[in-house]
Amino acid sequence: MGIYIKGAGVISIQEPLSEEGVFHPVAYTTPQVRCVEPEFRKFIDPMAARRMSRIVKRAVVSAAVALENSGISMPDAIISGTGLGCVEDTEKFLDAMVRQGEYCLQPTFFIQSTHNTISSQIAIRLKCRGYNNTHVHRGISFESALLDAWLLFAKGQIHSALVGGYDELTPTYFRLLGRLGYWRETVTDSLQIVREPAEGTFAGEGSVCFALSDESTGAWGQLEGVSIAYRCPDFMQAAEHFLTCCGIGWEGVDVVMMGLNGDRRNDAVYRQLQLPDVRKRAVYKPVCGEFFTAPAYGMYAAAVALKNGVLPASLSESGVAVEGIRRILLLNHWDGKDYSFILLSSCGN
Amino acid sequence: MENVVVSGMGIISALGCGVEETCRALREECSGIGPLRYLQTEHLEIPCAEVKCSDVELQEKLGLFSEEIAPRTVLFGMMALEEAWRSAGLSSSGGVRLAFINGTTVGGMEKSEQYYLDFLKNDIWNTYIASHECGACTEKIADRMGGFSYVTTLSTACSSAANAIILGENLVRAGLTDIAVVGGSECLTKFHLNGFNTLMILDREPCRPFDASRVGLNLGEGAAYVVLERESTARQRGVQPLCRLAGYGNACDAFHQTASSDDGVGATLAMNGALKMSGLQPSEIDYINAHGTGTRNNDVSEGRAIMNVFGERIPWVSSTKAMTGHTTSASGAVEAVISILALRHGFIPANLRFREAMPELTFTPVTHTLENVKVRNVLSNSFGFGGNNSSLIFSALSES
Repeated sequence: MGIYIKGAGVISIQEPLSEEGVFHPVAYTTPQVRCVEPEFRKFIDPMAARRMSRIVKRAVVSAAVALENSGISMPDAIISGTGLGCVEDTEKFLDAMVRQGEYCLQPTFFIQSTHNTISSQIAIRLKCRGYNNTHVHRGISFESALLDAWLLFAKGQIHSALVGGYDELTPTYFRLLGRLGYWRETVTDSLQIVREPAEGTFAGEGSVCFALSDESTGAWGQLEGVSIAYRCPDFMQAAEHFLTCCGIGWEGVDVVMMGLNGDRRNDAVYRQLQLPDVRKRAVYKPVCGEFFTAPAYGMYAAAVALKNGVLPASLSESGVAVEGIRRILLLNHWDGKDYSFILLSSCGN
Repeated sequence: MENVVVSGMGIISALGCGVEETCRALREECSGIGPLRYLQTEHLEIPCAEVKCSDVELQEKLGLFSEEIAPRTVLFGMMALEEAWRSAGLSSSGGVRLAFINGTTVGGMEKSEQYYLDFLKNDIWNTYIASHECGACTEKIADRMGGFSYVTTLSTACSSAANAIILGENLVRAGLTDIAVVGGSECLTKFHLNGFNTLMILDREPCRPFDASRVGLNLGEGAAYVVLERESTARQRGVQPLCRLAGYGNACDAFHQTASSDDGVGATLAMNGALKMSGLQPSEIDYINAHGTGTRNNDVSEGRAIMNVFGERIPWVSSTKAMTGHTTSASGAVEAVISILALRHGFIPANLRFREAMPELTFTPVTHTLENVKVRNVLSNSFGFGGNNSSLIFSALSES
């Protein structure tokens, strides 16, 4: 069995629905950056769009773009990861309830507050009645969703799927997470954030959807493996074990792409890894910002790199583009508790 | 194909604390629904099925003596996990790989709604900002026992726990874990009580699923987990399996964010999917533990789906939500435990307060506990907002 990336639709803090951001990302100077949105009315009827929250609009458009040119008209499964879910509508309902009491509430915001609104709205628009699920586990929500899809592909239960990572961050929730020490107070150049370690990082957002298939025609790359681990005692050993399960060793990996974000405590976990010297190292969080499903953007950046056969300078830790790459290992951790591993390869192997 | 079996389970709900209390309450047709005692809300006129313990009492039962009280979702989760863990003879150093998959939607909302204004102004309750996320609650529950190397959280509203069971089955079958402890936990919150209230689907009286005069549901709370593993793993560990998980179906109604389709297309697909995977004929299902919320919409949609799948020969059907209330994200696991109890003890739990048949349906639910019946295969339905429909089939092991 092979699982192939047949398309992707990405809305992030970079140019929407375009690979431009991967090659020539914009640098930001604020600790919170929100998505640059496409013109939704090009994709969604304005009447329907009015009833959708921001995260749902983004997700629906990401899904539509992922399907375009993928050769998949109706996916067998829709599986989403979202760390925080539909924060904006949750907050609106909560705020009204706390401030105005429990007798003058409207259902609208409650209806779209549940995390599974994203997967179900995508399904409703596509009239897709297949497997549908939503993973909501912190910084590995997307990888958990990807593994769910992997298991179904492996069983032969599905032959195609839309798998995505979606997170929005309201100014209020940004402030709340700031109280927990997530963010820096000032950012001078988001693209350089990993080179200037400090306490905290900068916040992004994202809506990243992949069309996956067990058929390889025109694919961007192949998903060779995905795994998650909790309270992993030895990150390095776990990464090696993961590669072994994928049937390769370090020599098969050209690039190791890591979730470095400039926060000292976060980055220390990656710095401790004794990676073989020849591996090129890459980052993606300086491009997309930190959010719970940022690894979905990482996988997108890696897929774009494989499709084009080059690791862009913007992602390379050394700042120099790397040609002729064939396989990328993505490593991520959240809070030193949740770990994830993704292996992608180019289809030209 | 080797059996994936249930080797242990734990539960807490309005019917009581633990499998034994729950079983007794079910057979005696107890209802956990009544006036609110613990949830601080303006809507005291709305009956709910609360777990009959304050947070402090739950902390004491768990031997937690910190000043800082964990979200109730976490406390329920710990209670149910500990029971499931013990009953399956698990150990954190047993040399087996353990996974924990939790279904929840409200997560730590119960604290967030209480301290929201403080969150905005000061640092006093930062700990509850950290425990707001669903995943953070799951990790607190998992850490109660330790030893889990795979932990994740699912949220598909009222089918969350059923989907956790499905994911656990897939993980075990793929050999990515030896054992998966799966289910869900959810406490009542003002947030979803008011949400359901604005949708006008809450009954002001104790609910009556599948009754012609039904007007809505009653919310409940609780947690439940089942322990899944391959039959050979259980036998090697010297644990007697309770039953097997014979099949599951997951489908999306793809109709409306909060309503089910009139013809129950998603529900039909979920039930048929579970039957197909189990290799069982519809006639071999002895009992359906229905989703049966008691809303106008669900019961007609689910009822029609049951008719689609089972035709003329409809098995015994009951909704135990008239006893437990609708435990939302936990309901898939609460009702999995109830289904397994029915299977193990040979009884069919009652669908309380049913009086008059629905004109749309050809069947009526079981109104009083049926004892001494042979129950070999049970189908349990869980349907969530967004059309997230899942069905599970639990079957007796061939030699038992």
